[in-house]
Amino acid sequence: MTFESKIRSTAGILLVTGVVSAALPSCGSTTPPAPTQQSASSESATAAPTTSQPETSPQTVIDITIADGTVTPTNAQAQAVAGRPIVLEVSSDETDELHVHSVPEHSFDVAAQPDQRFEFTVEVPGRVDVELHDLHRTVVTIEVAP
Amino acid sequence: MTPARITVVAHGVGGSTDLPVPLSYALIGAVWALVITFAVVAVAWQTPRFDPAKPGRALPGWVTNSVDSPAIRWLIAATAAAFAVWVGAGAIWGPQDSDNALPGVFYVLLWVGLVAASIVFGPVWRVISPMRTLHRLFGLRRSERPASRTYPSRWGYWPGAVGLFAFVWLELASPDPGSLMAIKIWILVYAVVMLSGAAIYGSTWFARADPFEVYSVTASRLAPFRRNRASGQIVVGNPLDHLPTMPVRPGVVAVMAVLLGSTAFDSFSAAPTFRTFVDDNAPAVPLVGDTLGGTLLRSVALLVFVVVVGVTFSVAARATSGVQPEQRRELPGRLAHCLIPIVVGYVFAHYLSYLVERGQETAVRLADPFGLGWHLLGLDSGDVVYLLSLNPTLLWTIKVACVVVGHVIGVVAAHDQALRVLPPGHQLTGQLAMMLTMVAYTLTGLYLLFGG
Repeated sequence: MTFESKIRSTAGILLVTGVVSAALPSCGSTTPPAPTQQSASSESATAAPTTSQPETSPQTVIDITIADGTVTPTNAQAQAVAGRPIVLEVSSDETDELHVHSVPEHSFDVAAQPDQRFEFTVEVPGRVDVELHDLHRTVVTIEVAP
Repeated sequence: MTPARITVVAHGVGGSTDLPVPLSYALIGAVWALVITFAVVAVAWQTPRFDPAKPGRALPGWVTNSVDSPAIRWLIAATAAAFAVWVGAGAIWGPQDSDNALPGVFYVLLWVGLVAASIVFGPVWRVISPMRTLHRLFGLRRSERPASRTYPSRWGYWPGAVGLFAFVWLELASPDPGSLMAIKIWILVYAVVMLSGAAIYGSTWFARADPFEVYSVTASRLAPFRRNRASGQIVVGNPLDHLPTMPVRPGVVAVMAVLLGSTAFDSFSAAPTFRTFVDDNAPAVPLVGDTLGGTLLRSVALLVFVVVVGVTFSVAARATSGVQPEQRRELPGRLAHCLIPIVVGYVFAHYLSYLVERGQETAVRLADPFGLGWHLLGLDSGDVVYLLSLNPTLLWTIKVACVVVGHVIGVVAAHDQALRVLPPGHQLTGQLAMMLTMVAYTLTGLYLLFGG
């Protein structure tokens, strides 16, 4: 808890000196981001018909809905593990393209239909942006841990 | 696969970005920075120690002779020019998508690699700059026609600061940093401004207005190699003796502010909060569309970061008693070099994995500039080693160490310079504001690496 209060006082110093000007990101939380943004992060294996042993290979499932020219979620955060599958479950009413900015990059064509499923793995750890190309929005940033 | 409009978010070179530094790493770094800062202010030396006039340890004569040899300088310049032509040919006739090497050369090898090279070898851009080479070639033909006008000294580094801002704007605020067309237009404008300015003001123009040369010279003040001021011999010595040789000219604080502010903005702008803010408010910007609205918001935020760094530094430098008003006005410039280590430390903390990993990817692309499946020098994308990304604890340690070491060198330099420029009796109180400002920069930097 001292860590907690320390980081808060650090943030206080930053605000006083005015170095961080606006829209300070939420701070003081050491726990992984809770699924606040439309439950983008879920490490459950409930929607995993392909995996027989969900305990040993947990996967990250991200639900993406594109409707009436907007995408849900945007700028969400999720956690994943390198080498383990990441699944994008997409329902869309128009065609678009999903770009996964990992190493190497992935690209998926989104059709105008519900329940599409795109699965990939990321081998190099890092922060991976998933971007919807035509709508020009970052859907989710996945923190891929080693 | 990729349509004509390419969108690559991360710094225009694609791929993933570093994992955020864990809180414990950031806190340990912050504690070290604080403890050392106050130790330096309170108990360190009371007479100035670092002096650019110190002779240093002379290197053998052949080193100076070869560095100064026109033949070797021409050879290096020609190699660099050939490299530029290679990149240019690939940019024009190569694949027009994210397989092109241009963004990697521009954003990684040039922007970050130049700093690394300058810290090791000195102001290398002066030798390898293709613009200088072109200018010299023109000059030869016209038998060294003198410049038609002298560069106005009151402009100082301001044109360079504007050029640096133009670069970071393209990378961090423009609609599509990865667009090959945008990069080509930027380079074209840069070339025209450099060559026409040099036609009017001679080669001084490059020293003051070429953003890469200003950046290179700035970083080179941390190099172990320098010239003995009396003999011109190349010597090796303490970088802290070298640091105060940064020329004090108008705009020197602006250069530091652009470099430090933009790097901080780079971290800040990746935060989901800021992205959501831009997404939500871009349509509300009057007169322009969504994309341009977002660009405008990012540009304003970038400018705010730069201005905040510039203003806080200038105010802190002036915050002392016992000096005349004209002396007070000179203080920010005379202390500006103390920001160099902080800038460089933060740049490396931020872009080291880029330099190492995207740098390798860029080399692989350069080995096949036209997308024909070449593997010049045997380079293959399977050879790229992602050592830093695969070992996050190593990367986090290096990042925090870069920030803290940069901070400590900056504080030590500022303390020493305060003893030199502040009147006796005000030296302790006069540097307090500067120390607090530096601590604030470093804590902000660590906080941004931690990622909120």
